[in-house]
Amino acid sequence: MDPRQRPLLRRRLGAFKAMTWSLVALLVLIYAWLQLVRHGEFKQLAMQQAVKVRPIPAPRGLVLDRNGQRLVDNRRALHLVIQREDLPARPEVVASLAEALVLDPAALARKIASYRQAGKGRPLVLKENLDEAGIALAERVRARFPFLSVEVAPRRVYLGDELAGHVLGYVGEVDEELMKARPGVFRLGETIGKEGFEASGNDKLKGVDGQKRILVDQLGTEVANFGQMDATAGRSLFLTLDAGLQKVAEDALGEEAGAVVVLDLRDGGVLAMYSSPSYDPNLFLNRLSQDMVDRYLANSQTRPMVNRAIQGIYAPGSTFKLLVAIAALEKGVVTPQTAIYCAGKKNFYGRDFRCDKPTGHGSLTMVQAIAQSCDVYFYELASRLDIDDIYATAEKYGLTERTGIDLPQEKRSRIPSRDWKRRTYPRDPKWYGGETISVGIGQGAVGVTPLALARFYALLATRGELVTPHLFYGFRDDQSNGLVPAPVPSPRGTHLDPRIWSVLNEGLSEVVQSGTAAANPFVREIANQIPFSGKTGTAQVATFVDKAHYARQAKFLKDHALFAGFAPRDNPQIAFAVVVENAGFGSTSAAPVAAKLVKYWCVDRLTHPLPPPRGKMVDPFAPAPQAESPE
Amino acid sequence: MRERFRALDPRLLWVLLALMALGTLTLYSAGRNTPQAGIWLKQSLWNFLGLVLMLLLASMDPRRLFRYAFPAYLVGLVALAAVLVVGRKIGGSTRWFMIAGQTFQPSELMKWITLLYVSQRLGSHNADTVGRLELFGATGLVVFPMLLIQRQPDLGMALSYLPILLIIPLMKGFRTRWVIVLLLLVGLGGVGAWKVVLKPYQKQRVRIFLDPSADLQGKGYQVNQSRIAIGAGGLIGKGFTSGSQTQLNFLPVKTTDFAFSVWAEERGFMGVLLVLGLFGLLLSRILDAAQAAPTNAEAYFCAGAAGIFALHLLVNVGMVAGALPNKGMVLPFFSAGGSSTLSFFLALGLIMGILHRSRVK
Repeated sequence: MDPRQRPLLRRRLGAFKAMTWSLVALLVLIYAWLQLVRHGEFKQLAMQQAVKVRPIPAPRGLVLDRNGQRLVDNRRALHLVIQREDLPARPEVVASLAEALVLDPAALARKIASYRQAGKGRPLVLKENLDEAGIALAERVRARFPFLSVEVAPRRVYLGDELAGHVLGYVGEVDEELMKARPGVFRLGETIGKEGFEASGNDKLKGVDGQKRILVDQLGTEVANFGQMDATAGRSLFLTLDAGLQKVAEDALGEEAGAVVVLDLRDGGVLAMYSSPSYDPNLFLNRLSQDMVDRYLANSQTRPMVNRAIQGIYAPGSTFKLLVAIAALEKGVVTPQTAIYCAGKKNFYGRDFRCDKPTGHGSLTMVQAIAQSCDVYFYELASRLDIDDIYATAEKYGLTERTGIDLPQEKRSRIPSRDWKRRTYPRDPKWYGGETISVGIGQGAVGVTPLALARFYALLATRGELVTPHLFYGFRDDQSNGLVPAPVPSPRGTHLDPRIWSVLNEGLSEVVQSGTAAANPFVREIANQIPFSGKTGTAQVATFVDKAHYARQAKFLKDHALFAGFAPRDNPQIAFAVVVENAGFGSTSAAPVAAKLVKYWCVDRLTHPLPPPRGKMVDPFAPAPQAESPE
Repeated sequence: MRERFRALDPRLLWVLLALMALGTLTLYSAGRNTPQAGIWLKQSLWNFLGLVLMLLLASMDPRRLFRYAFPAYLVGLVALAAVLVVGRKIGGSTRWFMIAGQTFQPSELMKWITLLYVSQRLGSHNADTVGRLELFGATGLVVFPMLLIQRQPDLGMALSYLPILLIIPLMKGFRTRWVIVLLLLVGLGGVGAWKVVLKPYQKQRVRIFLDPSADLQGKGYQVNQSRIAIGAGGLIGKGFTSGSQTQLNFLPVKTTDFAFSVWAEERGFMGVLLVLGLFGLLLSRILDAAQAAPTNAEAYFCAGAAGIFALHLLVNVGMVAGALPNKGMVLPFFSAGGSSTLSFFLALGLIMGILHRSRVK
């Protein structure tokens, strides 16, 4: 080495050394800033992302039938969710997430925004009730979006599938409109009953969510639990339904559209309520299929979302004649013995009103007129009455009001009056006498729900007691698993004259023994075993020139068949109403359905009852029996 | 054999062993309860191999090694070109050869070969009379492999070649004129690099560095989590294997780029002081070797080596604290990796050899 170079090089290397130590000092300063000055702030951040408060969703109460058979059960389900604190902010992240999960990007963005505003609480559910394919998808998507997590939560299982779809309803996430309509009642993301008893009994069934403080890792997986407040499960309860009788109703209606209602005469408990076509509430638990359902079911011609038993308004046809009879007897325009001649048709107000039997029934008393369902007899009664007389009678016997059943959106039956005409048809407010004649046989403007009809026949069975139909039977006792009966609103007495009642009772009995319903051999066979009472009805959907013309019509224009009554004839236990849409005569279509109900309730139920409902749903995740307390 | 061990410089060796021990502990904690639980053992194996290589190299005459510098440089260039063609593609870049089931990154070793060759060339000239042409030539020798590496692409690695050029001011001194020219070049180069040379992901890194909070769940996530880990460590740390950021996996790539954050979280500011102090001693000792070196070439090599170590230290430790862009430069003895570990030990072996020869002379 060049000796002259030496000192120079040494000096420069000395400068290098000083520079390296200042570099070290600089780094020390940076770390002192982070670790000493800003320590508190970062410590807080580290804790915030590792220690989380998570809600523990409470399972809803089970729903049992009157015999304790499960109608609604709980299972464990896996949901793909975003916890509140992990909600993504950037629009492109939200958009690509929506794309990955096949969700509507705008709807997802709206939802994320509303969840962010609402602060702490239930996580945002993106996909619920994951099946195996869903879990695989969730895992794939989580690799790209680490803020997603999978949550275990209880889910509902409707064991009978379509057995009692309309009665039970289904649950879902509370929607924004409802939250706005009833502020402060619901929390965002809460699961509530949407339809049926799940909705009307929501407060009874829902539990109280718990909470836990947990340590999570970067993927949101729980690593440690610092303590929790357990969720309180909702109370399980009994419905008045009898699953076996409900099944009989479902099978009896089969493919036909219509409705069946069976009431317990002791207290008005609903033993069966079936609306056909029914729906499977299990299909409504997933948001995606909810869209599917909205599109395909709600707009479909058969309208499966309508609970026909409480929302279907049907012309009652001849089943209404009993009310007309009461009105006539109470007004005194006829006596039970008054004989009226039927020649097959009669002229009122310059128009011929035809009887169902063109050759005429001849001379009839009231019992005979009910049994034969003579139209001319009741035209005559109606002609002697005013429409407001009929309305007043209907009002007295509870047909003008809602029955008050504990289900949402019950419709009121439509009983016309002069006032009603004025309000409904302001352009033609006058009531015409001819309209009263039609109402006399349950046609024209009059329309009733099957439930209201069943309640009216319950009143006939109990000699004038007006019951309040209900589904809630009572809570389940936690220790014994037995029923704690809920108080029942006591029936309202209507002061139906016993003499009038005995005439009607005889008429209804004759219908099945020898009258219109006896024409059906199956009905006759059951009636020989268990005598029961009832009235057929055939409600016109459209008017036709003659029978040949009628026979050529499309099915949806054909008459609705009705049958309403009670059983057994002596010491009755149940009242029922059956509507079979577009099925023709009440005696051939509706009466056999009623006969099957009577046979099951009075005989088969006691000797060989149907097995408990078991849905076709296969649940890959949950051993069923412990599902009551999923946490 | 005893003769060979005598070639090891005790002051450098103790610092080295201490850093190795702390690095291995850090990797043990970082790998716990992850698929990489055995990484500390694997790294210990590399460390052991490195120590053996270091021992072999230290006992050799450095002047003999300088003789192989030119052929080694040529072989290195061929390897860098070859890796672009037949290399293994991992995570979008082609940096590795697969050899016997292990990945091997030629650019690591090439860095030291380049340093060796440039030191040898410039060391053979008189510092006062060396011409501009020769200096430009030396600069070209450094820049050429850098361009090849940037093709992979691997900007962090390419930049780690730059300290080799420190030899030039060491020869000629710092001149204000040069500093101005250098700053201008860096400025122009920066703009040019942004427009032409930088790949999109590298531009993204620079953007995130300028505003880390803009993308907390994307690329900025890593540095943000690292800063939280470091800050949460405080004065004395959360305790060995007890850092929540590390153990709950909030901290990303914690066995390589962010290994130092693990140490900072679990051992706190005191631990950081210890490690930075050890690195300071390491650099000091290397510069001691440069001052004691019998020839200019050896002095240049040591100075360049100190520069390379210092750059790794600055960029990695600065980066995990969010003070520098996320470049992906490893921290010697802390970040797991075979090629880099062996290369560091090889360089240290040469430096020890230089120290040894300066003592025995």
